[in-house]
Amino acid sequence: MRFRLILLTSCFLLTSSSPAQDAGPTHADWPHYGGTQFSWRYSALDQINTGNVKALTPVWLFQTGDYAENLQTTPIVENGVMYLITARARVFALDAATGREIWNYRYPEPGRSVPGFVGNRGLAIGDGKVFFGTKDNYMVALDQKTGRLVWRVNIDDARQCGCNVTAAPLVVKDKVIVGGTGGDGAHRGYITAFSTKNGRLAWRWYVIPGPGEKGHETWKGDSWKFGGGAPWLTGSYDPALDLVYWGTGNAAADFYDADRVPAGADKSKDINLYTASVVALEADTGKLRWHYQEIHDDQWDWDSAYEVLLIDREIRGRMRQALVHMNKSGITSVLDRATGELLGVFSVPEVQTWISGITEDGKLVGRVEPKLGKTTTVCPTAAGAKSWNSMAYSPRTGFIYVPVNELCEDITPNNAAADEGQNYMNGAFPLKLAPGRTTYSHVDAWDPVTGKRAWSMPYKYVLLASMLATAGDLVFTGNPEGEFYALDAKSGNKLWSYQTGAGHRGGSATYAVNGRQFIATSTGWHVSVVGGAVQALFPDQDWRLGSTLVVFALPELSQ
Amino acid sequence: MKVLAVLCALALSCAAQNVAKRGEQVFAKSCATGYCHGVRGASSGAPRLAGRGFNQAYINNVVTRGIPGTGMASFATALPPADLKAVIAYVAMLNGIINPEAGSDGVEVPVPSGPALTGEAARGQRLFKEAVRGFGRCSTCHEVAGSGISVAQPIAQVPASVAAFKALATPDVKTGAIGDESMPVLVLSDGKQGTLFYDLTSAPPVERNAEPGSVKFSDGSAWRHASVIAAYNDAELAAILAYLRGAIKP
Repeated sequence: MRFRLILLTSCFLLTSSSPAQDAGPTHADWPHYGGTQFSWRYSALDQINTGNVKALTPVWLFQTGDYAENLQTTPIVENGVMYLITARARVFALDAATGREIWNYRYPEPGRSVPGFVGNRGLAIGDGKVFFGTKDNYMVALDQKTGRLVWRVNIDDARQCGCNVTAAPLVVKDKVIVGGTGGDGAHRGYITAFSTKNGRLAWRWYVIPGPGEKGHETWKGDSWKFGGGAPWLTGSYDPALDLVYWGTGNAAADFYDADRVPAGADKSKDINLYTASVVALEADTGKLRWHYQEIHDDQWDWDSAYEVLLIDREIRGRMRQALVHMNKSGITSVLDRATGELLGVFSVPEVQTWISGITEDGKLVGRVEPKLGKTTTVCPTAAGAKSWNSMAYSPRTGFIYVPVNELCEDITPNNAAADEGQNYMNGAFPLKLAPGRTTYSHVDAWDPVTGKRAWSMPYKYVLLASMLATAGDLVFTGNPEGEFYALDAKSGNKLWSYQTGAGHRGGSATYAVNGRQFIATSTGWHVSVVGGAVQALFPDQDWRLGSTLVVFALPELSQ
Repeated sequence: MKVLAVLCALALSCAAQNVAKRGEQVFAKSCATGYCHGVRGASSGAPRLAGRGFNQAYINNVVTRGIPGTGMASFATALPPADLKAVIAYVAMLNGIINPEAGSDGVEVPVPSGPALTGEAARGQRLFKEAVRGFGRCSTCHEVAGSGISVAQPIAQVPASVAAFKALATPDVKTGAIGDESMPVLVLSDGKQGTLFYDLTSAPPVERNAEPGSVKFSDGSAWRHASVIAAYNDAELAAILAYLRGAIKP
């Protein structure tokens, strides 16, 4: 009965008019990393739907030839052209209907002395250009028609800051905005905006306030200089409010807080601002409008850097301009996106030992904190109850679709001092399987307004690919074994699947060319970082590497 | 460190013991952390390093040069020479090489030479690349001793005084005009493929690529090195000169 009520609510939503309702879904194009700047990863296309998805078949594929760290990207599509970037920043423009290559650009291989992981999660388009970040920490603009280099600007000396870019940039009006890595390093994180036209610096917003700025007092001594907080993924934008939304990383050192938290700090209040937060910045200036810190003194690497979904929903009888944001702990906050007011909070993992619970007003209860000289076991893990891959939101069901992992870890902190640009996690955290289970992940549908789970589909290993939702009431994602599949958005029932041949660690997109709907997905398992760490938990598994984009459609005859 | 103490008694000199102990500390900080090699090389995501049967040459090579295309970076310049040597010794010990000494089998360990800077030169080095200065620091445009972005040509001559530093002429900076845009530029290449140049209008400089023949250059510009170093006071500039005098060999 509860289920029917939710569906009725959703129908009402469809008829109500709101900015997000129009700006959230994609149509023929897939113009942004998160679909639209509202980051729903939801398309209004419904040619492929629950009734015909069984006929879905591969129509073309594209081998990138870059197997360095496999394919994490979410493809971008505009006017029948697909733009794709690989781990080592090889960029391709393809005919989105056939896969024919239009141009390619190969970013020069950085020198061996550049630190950091290889990997690229996507590019952005706008102002007739294609934008991406690089391992050696440049923002690069190519001509969208030809692939020719237009401009390139250094964001920071990668060798000094130990930081670079793996996230897709976000284009907002005449600016391209990007967050960098380095959240677990001795580095002071920031978000930087460049002019799309000529690459000149527009603004930089430091996650950590400097001397004299509000919030600086939440840092002990000089710890602010290397206090982490890097916002290493992609934000969202609401044109009506003209605000950019971004999640920020945890403070560094990650697992040891004595050097960064002022003596006697109250852990029910803001600490180490503006790390572990969702922030709203003015798009033209980068000025902070509001912040909401999700985890005060994050000592678990819960890293609030994840995607921000902008949705409009009726909450407690009032239509709200809201946002939905999850961090690695699986704690999910629903905020008023005009003011930052907390509207609701819930937690998604089934196994949760780091706290005993969370109150309605977002207070953590029974914190189990890592302690120097001890090993502390907590669940979930720094690999994430959800990894960096994005969830999706369907306005038809009102649900967010989330891949959730059930793992635990043994945290052993150390008290090493900060050393600029070097790793500053201050701890080891070997992962292990959550005890007493036979399945270690699930795709869930959650109603962010009620904080209730509508359905859950278990999976025996882990799930580390992004979700895609469509108006055909389908939810797509892939698993490490190589299976790409469609679930019924209302029930979670598996309706279709296809073995792509390599594990899924990237994103999917849907688009239409000449009236035909396509579904594209990145394949290729990610061998290092989280991919490698979790694979070690399943030693009998040999998940296949690769770097191939696979594209599906309905057979032409059945349209 | 009971294990080390026993090893010391059996086989290692006390000097070697100190190296291995230092190596363990360096390893804990630079290698064991994050999603990497774990406590005592037991793996925390990246491959296990303990008891793998690695030989000395392999360890030397991988630690100093990294493994291209993977998360394994080169540590040749990331660690001070003594730490590099110590961590190589430690990883060797994890693989049963009980008298570890980096480079002992003839494989050269490429480490930067030269003693650590002290006094004013050390202060100058810090100021040259101080992160809190953002794009206002010297290293935004100059690469010295493996640090910074090489926008400008390598520094060949260090100004003799702070006054000379402030009066520095920059004849390479020209004025470039594209359409109705005019800007101070440093030209990288100008040929049939196009024109590659740095736009110095604001920091950081932007490398731009224009269609062949689309940029018109004229000598001289309104750009002044004195303006971009104005964020440093005279004492700071003197320290930076002291650093550069030691770091730049004519």
